[in-house]
Amino acid sequence: MDNILKEKSQIRLKGVKDGFWVTLDPTLPKEFIENELTRLFNQLEHLAFNSKVIIDAGNIENNENILEAIGIFLKDKFKVGSVSAHHKEHGGTEDFSRKPDMATLRRQHYNDATVIAGRIRSGQNITAKKHLIILGDVNPGSVIVAGGDILIMGNLGGTALAGQPGNQESIIIAIGFKPIQIQIGGIIAAGLPSSSQHSIEYAHVENGVIVVEDYVKANPFGRLTWPVVR
Amino acid sequence: MEGKVIVVTSGKGGVGKTTATASIGAALALEGKQVAVVDMDIGLRNLDVVMGLENRIVFTVVDAVRGKCKIKQAAIKDRRIDNLYLIPASQSDNKDILTPDMMVRFCKELRKEFDYILLDCPAGIERGFENSVAPADEAIIICTPEVSSVRDADRVIGLLYAKSIAPKLIVNRIVPEMVENGDMLSHEDVVEVLSIELLGLIRMDTNVVISTNTGMPLVLLKESEAGKAFRRIAMRLNGQKNIPIEIPQVQRSFWKKIGQKIGIGR
Repeated sequence: MDNILKEKSQIRLKGVKDGFWVTLDPTLPKEFIENELTRLFNQLEHLAFNSKVIIDAGNIENNENILEAIGIFLKDKFKVGSVSAHHKEHGGTEDFSRKPDMATLRRQHYNDATVIAGRIRSGQNITAKKHLIILGDVNPGSVIVAGGDILIMGNLGGTALAGQPGNQESIIIAIGFKPIQIQIGGIIAAGLPSSSQHSIEYAHVENGVIVVEDYVKANPFGRLTWPVVR
Repeated sequence: MEGKVIVVTSGKGGVGKTTATASIGAALALEGKQVAVVDMDIGLRNLDVVMGLENRIVFTVVDAVRGKCKIKQAAIKDRRIDNLYLIPASQSDNKDILTPDMMVRFCKELRKEFDYILLDCPAGIERGFENSVAPADEAIIICTPEVSSVRDADRVIGLLYAKSIAPKLIVNRIVPEMVENGDMLSHEDVVEVLSIELLGLIRMDTNVVISTNTGMPLVLLKESEAGKAFRRIAMRLNGQKNIPIEIPQVQRSFWKKIGQKIGIGR
């Protein structure tokens, strides 16, 4: 009984739009495949006449000979219209499915972002499970830790640890970017050259190294085609 | 009316807490207030030397707090300035001999007799700091324009806010020439990082060393810029809000000023 079930599952017939879809394993013996196909197509009776058959033999290479033999066999015995092989699409990694528009989306995204207003002084530690937003300055000697991104609407002068532990996608943004040390997902950047420019800067990981860039010039999220939830 | 307890602290050592305590205490006494300055640096007392009263110590703050003597016995009266009293620290004990609760009770007694009680806090944030801060109504932070001093002051400000005390800032030892050349933090930088109310700015003054070594109160030295600044700070503490904060300027000689006017040299 088990054997039959197993064999049945090895060759399957399915009706598609204007023909039939046959899934089979080309490594099976030829006689077995022919017997099974005969059994299946006998059940179809007149429907098999002049029909379109697509054979999906998986991704195994050098199966053209087997497919050709099956094609001739089916055309001779059941007078099917055409027999073609199913080819897998190549390089089809791009997702062309429609994406929801964030502006018109009814669904709301709840996010665990911690918002803190005020000055973080030396010796004070702030820890957030996910993103951390600080409306104020972070003084030297303080430590701020977040599971996700860190956004500082003020001067960053202390130690900032983003993406703890192990999230290297995280970023650190500060209006005044003068940290003692920053870490993103376990990568440490100490002794950053102090920049004198008065611009919003952000730190991110690039090829395993922390890079600090001008946020407005780099515009890292400007190239995203769709708004996404971080 | 009950007196006010003000703690003078900094976190970092050697920034001028003791000098500031002695000078502000003396200046407040010159304003006609009853002032007690209490040395909380038990084991490493200095305030008595700075005030020139070290040879008159009989009882100390430890004796007074633990009830071995009366407050009047421990408080040493300054002979040059009326209404100024010093309660010295003990040199043979350590800071663990007192507790914050004991200090709160002791200051409750002091409030009845004095208008202002200035506590000279020791450096650090351990027991001595806790003892000094526990009874305080107000706090003065002394900070020099150095990164290390600013860092420690920032930490202390955080600890004081945790005890719901809003401290005021004095920036000490400003050298205007160095600030002008960009070698020293300006008082604006310090205030920006610490972001608390500014009480006064004091320039670097060699008279401080003279005053400390001779025991002569700084505020009584006529030519001392620092002494004048401390007197203005005392007036502000005493409720005279309209006294402007003077920013230490580079002092140029008479001939240089003339030269500048007519456009020769710098």
